[in-house]
Amino acid sequence: MKLDIGGEETFDSPIERVWSALNDPAVLKQCIPGCKDMITQGDDRYKLVLALKVASVGGSFEGEISLSEKTPPSQCKIAVSGSGSLGNGTGIATFSLTPQPAGTLMRYGGEGEIGGLVAGVGQRILKGVAKHLIGQFFTALRKQLAAPVS
Amino acid sequence: MSETSRFTFVSTQRRVREDRRFVVGKGNFVADIDVPNMKHVALVTCPYPAARIKSIDKNAALAMAGVHYVLDGAELAQGTLPLMTGLDTPNVPRRPLAVDIARYAGEWVVAVVADSRALAEDAADAVRIDYEKLPFVLDAEMAMEKDSVLVHQAHGSNVLLDKTFTWGEVDKDFAAAPRHLKLRVKWGRSSTVPIETFGVVTSWDPWREILDVWASIQMPRYNDQIGSALKVPVSSVRVHYDVDVGGSYGVKRGIKHTVLCGYLSRRLGFPVRLIEDRLENMRGGDAHGPERLFDVEAAYGDDGVIHSMKMRALENVGAYAGRSPFQLGKPVGAIVGPYRIKSVQYRAVAVVTNKTTQEAVRGFGQSPTNVAIERVVDEVANTLGLDPMDVRRRNLIRTEDFPYTIPSGTTYDSGDYLALIDKVLAHTSYEELKKKRDALRAQGMLAGIGIAAALEPSGGNATFEALLNPNVTTSTFMDSCRIAVDGLGSITATMHTTSSGQGHETLVGTVIGEVLGLDPELVRVVRPDSLNSLPSGTPVGSRMAIMLGGAAFEAAQKLKTKLTAIGAHDLGIPPERAVYERGEVYDRNAPDKRIKWADLVQIAHRNYHRMPPDMEPGLAVSHVMQVPTGGKLPTADGRVQMYPCTSFEFHMILVTIDPALGRPEIALYRIGHDCGTVINPKIVRGMTMGGIAHGIGAALYEEFAYDPEGQMIAQSFMDYLLPSSHEVPPVEIIHQVTPSPNTVLGQKGSGESGYLGAPAAIANAVNDALKPLGISINTLPLRASVLGDMIAEATAKKAS
Repeated sequence: MKLDIGGEETFDSPIERVWSALNDPAVLKQCIPGCKDMITQGDDRYKLVLALKVASVGGSFEGEISLSEKTPPSQCKIAVSGSGSLGNGTGIATFSLTPQPAGTLMRYGGEGEIGGLVAGVGQRILKGVAKHLIGQFFTALRKQLAAPVS
Repeated sequence: MSETSRFTFVSTQRRVREDRRFVVGKGNFVADIDVPNMKHVALVTCPYPAARIKSIDKNAALAMAGVHYVLDGAELAQGTLPLMTGLDTPNVPRRPLAVDIARYAGEWVVAVVADSRALAEDAADAVRIDYEKLPFVLDAEMAMEKDSVLVHQAHGSNVLLDKTFTWGEVDKDFAAAPRHLKLRVKWGRSSTVPIETFGVVTSWDPWREILDVWASIQMPRYNDQIGSALKVPVSSVRVHYDVDVGGSYGVKRGIKHTVLCGYLSRRLGFPVRLIEDRLENMRGGDAHGPERLFDVEAAYGDDGVIHSMKMRALENVGAYAGRSPFQLGKPVGAIVGPYRIKSVQYRAVAVVTNKTTQEAVRGFGQSPTNVAIERVVDEVANTLGLDPMDVRRRNLIRTEDFPYTIPSGTTYDSGDYLALIDKVLAHTSYEELKKKRDALRAQGMLAGIGIAAALEPSGGNATFEALLNPNVTTSTFMDSCRIAVDGLGSITATMHTTSSGQGHETLVGTVIGEVLGLDPELVRVVRPDSLNSLPSGTPVGSRMAIMLGGAAFEAAQKLKTKLTAIGAHDLGIPPERAVYERGEVYDRNAPDKRIKWADLVQIAHRNYHRMPPDMEPGLAVSHVMQVPTGGKLPTADGRVQMYPCTSFEFHMILVTIDPALGRPEIALYRIGHDCGTVINPKIVRGMTMGGIAHGIGAALYEEFAYDPEGQMIAQSFMDYLLPSSHEVPPVEIIHQVTPSPNTVLGQKGSGESGYLGAPAAIANAVNDALKPLGISINTLPLRASVLGDMIAEATAKKAS
């Protein structure tokens, strides 16, 4: 099934701080829901190991995430692909960061396609699940941004 | 029921003997089979609707503790032959595991064997398969087009079958009729969804050269198919029929599961077991039912009398074909339903697509066809402004017309359709029901009456095989029974197939008890394994009351004749003077001169010197039953006698739809049912009630739906909706007994009753409810979501 995602988020932190967090594998590993491992494969390319549960099925998910068309500190394209016992998925999204008086505004949008078991058992709730996972990501990201810079 | 008073045990309210063990939880299902050293199978399935398998990495899985083997399709194809199919389509081979190309999302690609199912599932996760996605086609009409993606490249097209039959003067009748109509009806892909998923256990003994098989199976020629796929003599395949099957209604046809496990047991030297989980069953168990598109044309008069019909039925069989294209063949035996339609043109088309493979479902294609016919009859009434009840009365075959031969060559055995309808209407007034409907409409509800008159062809033979594939010359579909009386006088009867809850032990006991005049409880009924069995066609095609009941009856007659001869000889009287009665033989001229059961047994088992000369000692008889009226192949123009019996059912229901919700609710359900002599009323009632619930599911809720990307999106009970006690209303059954002249007790089949008319009645009721809005729907299931939108749109249009 096809899945459209998009939205806006605001952060209290300045744009440079948000940008560097989003480009830091250590931060991303903490923020991506169910992320068990994130191994650098090359410039802006990482291997991901996830454990997720959707509806009545749960399972492991291996994939790749890559960042491209970067325009620091405001724009970036993210491509994700992966497969596992849950099924398979691909997605491409872009985000843009805009400085705000009290922080940073992020706009993001993209399209995903999901197949296999998860598409069949959870389709009715997949949009909700995607929204929930994205929410989890941003909650974790805010926590990371709030933490003192190491 | 005066018609049945000639019976002692038949037609009486006797308990169903199988129920005892099920009620106390002591059934013996395949999951209860525990063979020492048994290993477990899990499957890796393809996530794409079509993909080339580029590479399979088994190393991580094989390295895991407790994992014994990882089998791929290439190895399995080396060691086995493709599964048996009904049509001659050698370039559409069907195998348990995909070879090179997988053709539907969920198709099995790799099997993993481990110490436990849990370990096997974990190891299945660790198998890495590299795929190249391929184009796919899901829609049957698109698959028929010249430039369509091909599911099987080597076959050269997606069409497996395209055959047109013309029975009678169709063109002439169409030209002569003043009125014509066209209707498109769609039956969505649904199935029967048994409580127990498919399971199989196999064990190979190399020193005896026997493969033992325990399975939750309901499949004709199961042992033949296993033997030929595994390339072993069928005498090396021992199917244990004494396994209870937890529901089937046609779909328990796990031949691919069995061939896979059989191969693994032989290859690995230990027993293996594969029991599907619900997801595997719904996605890749190859247990989907018909998905059929009908284009029907009718030619009729101003009086509503239908003279001729043209029907094209397009079946989406999924990625591979087993027997399923034949589901287009069975309805030929009742192609005009219960009506006197003079001529018919029937085009049967089966195409492959990238969906899960289809199998047989209750009625073997008849219920969808009945919906198409019944929707046409209602539309004939609509176009003429006539009452659908009146139009049916004008078209129904009359009792004096029987035996009645329909254009496609089948002779219907007996029936009194109008009398049964009158009985139903005497019970529930049609005029009152119409008033009730109109009162509901006045209150702002949508309300509709649905009626359906439907036939259940029963006593299944396999003539449709020869009809659709001229290379098939099968003209019998046997069933058999053996009766042995042991040395102390107990009676044991055998049947030679599995049962999936149809009460066959009760059937055999009752029939033998009836013939011998002995309490049926005294008759033990067992199922030997396939190596100890007589030929049996299995409990499909609504046939067991007729065929197994017939075999038990004839075997019991042979036993009775032998006992009578022994008694006569011992009494020193000619056999024609001897009378057998309730286990004893006496002299007609001197009733006090009699021999009791124990003495007859004593003579047969131990006193050969008292036997009639040249008679076999002991008391063992058997009968292999040919299908009544069967034995002929189709004529060149495709006419043939299909099933020997036709049961009749008449449904009358009231459906309400709250226009704000769009959800149909059944407010009243009446069914008139006639399956000839009823052998066990409780079994017939259970079949009819279950069949109606099944029909409600197919009409309103159940569908294996796919998204445009080829993923099946209803593969759990969250999305594949089954009717529950909330959706199934109380049903009142009104009985009639019109015995069949073709069967031993006048019985007809009842294994599909209710299911064959319920979807038609519901479709008619919903359309009657929509009529005031000027809209109609002919796509099943009739989803509340679709109805809600249609109603809202029509209401808005009306208001503007």
